[in-house]
Amino acid sequence: MRALDKKLFRDVWRMRLHAAGVALVLACGLSVFVMAVGMRGSMERTRADYYAERRMADIAVSLVRAPDRVARALAEAPGVQTVETRIAGYALLDLPGVEEPPSARLVSLPAQGRPRVNDVVITRGRLPDPTHADEILLSQAFANAHALDIGDTLAATLYGRRQTLRIVGIANSPEFVFVSGPGELFRQAERFGVIWMGRDALARAYDLDGAFNDAVFMLGRNANQVETIRAIDRVLDPYGGAGAYGRDRMMSDRFLSEELRQLSTMATFLPAFFLIIAAFLVNIALGRVIATERSNIGLLKAFGYSNAAVAWHYAKSALIFAAIGALLGSFAGVAFGRMVADLYRDYYHFPRLDFVASPATFAGAWAAGFASAIAGCLFSVLRAARLAPAEALTPPRPTAFNTAGKGLAAFAARLDAKSRIILRRIVRFPRRASTTALGVAFAIALLVVARTMPAEMNYLLDVNFGVANRQDVTLTFAEARDVGVLHEVGRLPGVIYAEPFRIDDIVLHHNGRTVHEAVFGVPAEARLSRVIGAAQAPLSPPVAGIALARALAEKLDARVGDEIYLEQTRGRRIGAHVRVTAIVEPMLGSSAYMELGALARLMREPGRISGAHLLMDASDYGAFNQRIKETPGIAGASYVAQAEHSMREEFDQGVGMMNFIYAAFAAVMAGGVAFSAARITLAEQERDLATLRVLGFTRLEVSYVLIGELMALALLAVPAGIALGTVLAIWLMKLFQTDMYSFPFVFHPPGYAFAVAFTLACVLTAALVVRAGIDKLDMIGVLKARD
Amino acid sequence: MRAPTRLKAAIVAAVRRLSPIKGTQTPIAHKSLMMSFAPPDAAAEPLFALRGVCKTYGQGETAVRALVDVDLDITKGELMVLLGPSGSGKSTLLNILGGLDRATSGQVRFEGELLTALSEHALTLFRRRHVGFIFQFYNLIPSLTARENVELVGEIADDPLSAVEALELVGLGKRIDHFPSQLSGGEQQRVAVARAIAKRPAVLLCDEPTGALDVKTGVRVLEALQEVNERYGSTTMIVTHNADVARMAQRVVRFGDGHVRSVEVNTERVPPSELVW
Repeated sequence: MRALDKKLFRDVWRMRLHAAGVALVLACGLSVFVMAVGMRGSMERTRADYYAERRMADIAVSLVRAPDRVARALAEAPGVQTVETRIAGYALLDLPGVEEPPSARLVSLPAQGRPRVNDVVITRGRLPDPTHADEILLSQAFANAHALDIGDTLAATLYGRRQTLRIVGIANSPEFVFVSGPGELFRQAERFGVIWMGRDALARAYDLDGAFNDAVFMLGRNANQVETIRAIDRVLDPYGGAGAYGRDRMMSDRFLSEELRQLSTMATFLPAFFLIIAAFLVNIALGRVIATERSNIGLLKAFGYSNAAVAWHYAKSALIFAAIGALLGSFAGVAFGRMVADLYRDYYHFPRLDFVASPATFAGAWAAGFASAIAGCLFSVLRAARLAPAEALTPPRPTAFNTAGKGLAAFAARLDAKSRIILRRIVRFPRRASTTALGVAFAIALLVVARTMPAEMNYLLDVNFGVANRQDVTLTFAEARDVGVLHEVGRLPGVIYAEPFRIDDIVLHHNGRTVHEAVFGVPAEARLSRVIGAAQAPLSPPVAGIALARALAEKLDARVGDEIYLEQTRGRRIGAHVRVTAIVEPMLGSSAYMELGALARLMREPGRISGAHLLMDASDYGAFNQRIKETPGIAGASYVAQAEHSMREEFDQGVGMMNFIYAAFAAVMAGGVAFSAARITLAEQERDLATLRVLGFTRLEVSYVLIGELMALALLAVPAGIALGTVLAIWLMKLFQTDMYSFPFVFHPPGYAFAVAFTLACVLTAALVVRAGIDKLDMIGVLKARD
Repeated sequence: MRAPTRLKAAIVAAVRRLSPIKGTQTPIAHKSLMMSFAPPDAAAEPLFALRGVCKTYGQGETAVRALVDVDLDITKGELMVLLGPSGSGKSTLLNILGGLDRATSGQVRFEGELLTALSEHALTLFRRRHVGFIFQFYNLIPSLTARENVELVGEIADDPLSAVEALELVGLGKRIDHFPSQLSGGEQQRVAVARAIAKRPAVLLCDEPTGALDVKTGVRVLEALQEVNERYGSTTMIVTHNADVARMAQRVVRFGDGHVRSVEVNTERVPPSELVW
C-alpha cells in the first residue's frame, strides 16, 4: 500500500465518528431507495409472472344474459385470443357466529378443466367436482379472516334460495388480488370474499342454464384493445352488455398500479432528503479536515504531488464514507425489502413474492451515494487543490471576525459575551451554520410530513363517516330495482329511514377527452349519504346538471358552466349534454354526482334505484341481519360503523409503524447533523473554551457556548422546518392523490409540536454527548500550543 | 463546601486589602519605580506557601518528575520572575499555583487555605476570583473585540475594572473595538494583560508573556505588567527563559530539573524600558 493510502485510512479512522454520521445518513436514504425501487421491480415482476401464469384477462365484460352460442361470436372478435364465458354474481353469506352477513363474488368454473382466462391458484385442497353442486373454492384472504378451512360449510342466499356450500379448496386469482365488496369504501378482508363453484350449479342458482352473464378475454399479440372492446360490445349489445373494459378499469389491477406508483414516489422523496444532508455533512467534515491539514497539503505539494493527486487524496476519504453508507444502505434495503415483501405477500396473497433488487438498483444507490459525497466534498477538495504550497506551510491567519452590520451589532451589544461568541460564529461561518440549520429543518419537515399525513387520513375518515356518510347500513341490490322496493326495505326490522341511491358506469366526454367513471344519483334532499362540496360541507345535488369531483373535472378539463357529454356504457349508448354546475371535493373516489331522478331518466331507467342507505334502530340489528340473509337480490350490505372501525384499526397499525420509522430517520438526520456540527465546533473552539475555563468559567458556563450555538441554530431552523414540512406535506398529498383518494391539507398542531420538540431533543442529546469533551479539555496543553 | 466558603471570605478580605479604592491611585510614573526597588516585606504572611511540592507526569519507567520537593513562599504584591530552561518545571509550578494542575504530593497554600485539597469546581472559582493569566500566545477569543474580551472577565468578577479603564492602562484605549485578527501580536498580548487585570486579581500568572514578541513590543507588555503590579499590588509571577527579564523582578527563582536551584533578591531593579534581549 502506498504511504499516501495509509495516511488516507488513518485519516478516515481519525474521522470515524464523522464517517459514521455520513454513512448512517446515507444508509437511511439508500436503504429506502433500494427497498422501494427493488420492491417496485419485484412487484412488477411478480404481477407480470402471476398474470402470465394464470392468464389474467385483458378485457372483461358483464351482461344480462347471452346464450352459450354467443361465445363463438366473441371468440371471433378481432384481437381476441381466448375467451372464457362465465356466470358471476353477488350473494350475501351466512356464517355461523357472524351477525352481519358478508358478501361474496360468485364466479363459475368451467365444466371441464381449468379456466382458460383468470385461472385460480389453489393453495390448499382441490377443484370442485362438477358433479357435486355444493363444492366451492374460497378466496384465501376471506378464509383466513374467518378461520374457514377445507371441509367447513357456509350458507349463501343465491337468487332467493338458501344453499349450503362446502369448501373443498382455498384459492387465489390474479383477478382478485385486491377486492372490496359492493357498497364498501375500503378493503375489508372479512367483509368480502370470492367463491368459485361449478358452472352448472351456479347456472341453476341464477337460472342461466345454457347461458352466461360474464366474459373475460385475453388479447392476441398486436391486438388493438379499443377495437376489440368495440367489437365485443357490438356482439353483446342485444344481450344487455354493460360495456367491456380493459385492465385500467379492473379494480384489482388499478389498485396494484397505484401501489406501484406510491413505491416510486417513496423511492425518490425520502432518499433525496438524506442524500442532500449527507452531502452537507461531508462538506462540513472535509472542510474541517482540510483546514487542519493545511501544512500536510503544503508538504505533499512541496514533495511534488500534483494538485490533482492532492485533491484526489482528500476526495477519496469522502468516497470511503459514501461506500460505507452505500454498503450499509444496500444491506438494510434488502432486509427492509424482505420485510415489506412478506407484508405484501400476506396482504395480497401473491403465490410468491421474493424481494429481488436488480444490479441496476444497487448501482443506482451506489451512484447516488457517491454523487452525494462528491457534491459534498467538491468545495473543500478544490480549495485543497488550489492552496499554494508556500502559503499552506505558513500558519493560518487568525479567523477574522467582524460585527457584521449595524443591526446585528446593536443586537450583539445587548447580549452577554458568551452569547456574542455564539452569534458571531454563526454569522462568521454561514455555510456551516446553514448546513446545521438545514439538517434540523429537514428533520422537522420529515416529522411534520409523517404526522400530517395520518392527520389528513383521519380527517378524511372523519368527514367520510361523520359528514358524508351518516347511514348505518348501505344495501346494494344485485341489479337496479324499482323505487317501490324502498317500501319493502323500510319495513325491514329496525329500519328507521331508507334513502335511495343510484350508481351507474358512464362515459364522460369533454374537450376531446374521455373518462369512464361512476356517477352517483343522490336524492335532492339527501339526509344520509351526501355530496361534499367546498370546505368539506355537504351540498345539495344539482337538480339539473352534474357535479364533478375535482380530480375528474381536471381529467376532463371541465369547469363550472361547461357542458359535457354523458354516454351510457351499455345498450344503445344513449347520451346527453349536461352542464357542470359544481366542482366538489369528495376525498374518496373521483366520481360525478347528479340528482337521483335526473340520472335515472338519463340512463333510461326512470324510477329505478341501485340500493338504499339505511338509518337503523340499534336494538334491532339481529332481526334485520336475519331478514336480509334470506332476502334475494341483495348483493351486499355494508355496515358503516364496522367499516369505520376496521379501517381505523388497520390504519392505526400502519401509522404506528410509519411514525416509528420516520422518527428514527429524523433522529438520525437531526442527531447526525447536530453531532457533526458540535464535534467540529468543539474541535475549532477547543482553545477558546479552554481559555474560558482558565479564566474561571465553570463547565456549565463553557458548555453554554457549545450547546447554545447548536440550539440557537436549531431554533432558527424551526420556522424553516415548519414551512418546508408544510410545503412537502401539500406536495406529497398531491403526489399520493389517486382516483380513489384525495387528501385535503390538514393543519395538525400536535404534529407540528411533536416534530419540533422531538427534533430539538435529538439536537440537544447530540450536543450533550459532545459536551462531555469539555470535561476533558486539556487546559494546559491547549494554551501552550499555538493555533 | 466549607473550604471554598472560607476561602472566599479570606480572598474577599485579601482583595479588599489589595485593591485601593478606585480613583485614588496616582498615575504611575517612572520616578515612582524607585520605591519598588525595596525588597519584599519578608515578615508579612505569604500569599502562596509551598511545602515539599512534587509533580510527576506518567508512571513507572516513563515517569517524568517535573517538580521535586519545592519549598517556596511568595509574598503579597511582589513581582517574581521564574527562570530556567525548557522542562525545568517553572511552567508546571505556575499551573499549580493557578489551579490548572495539581501537585502529586506536598502542600500549596493560598492565604493559608490548602489549594491542594480543593475540588475542581472550587479551583475554578479560585481562578475566577483571584487569578489573572497571561499566555505566550495571548489566547484571546477571536470572535470578541478587545473590549469584549476584557468584559468577558468582568461578567464573572465581583468588582471588575471597566474594560475601557483596563485597556487604557495598557495603552490600547484607541483600539478597543478591534477584533484580535485586526491587532498586532503586541497589541493582542496587551489585551490579554488588560483582560487579566480587569478583575483586580490577587495574583497575575504570566507564562512566557513576551515569548512570541519582538523586543520593542515585549517591553511594552512588561511595562504594562509592572504598572499593574505597582498600581494594584497584584502579586505578579513571570515565567521566562529570558534571563534579561529577571532584572525587572524583585526576586528571581531559578529552576533546573524540577528543583528550585536558587532564589535571589534583586537589589538593583531595572525598568523594562532598559531591558535588552
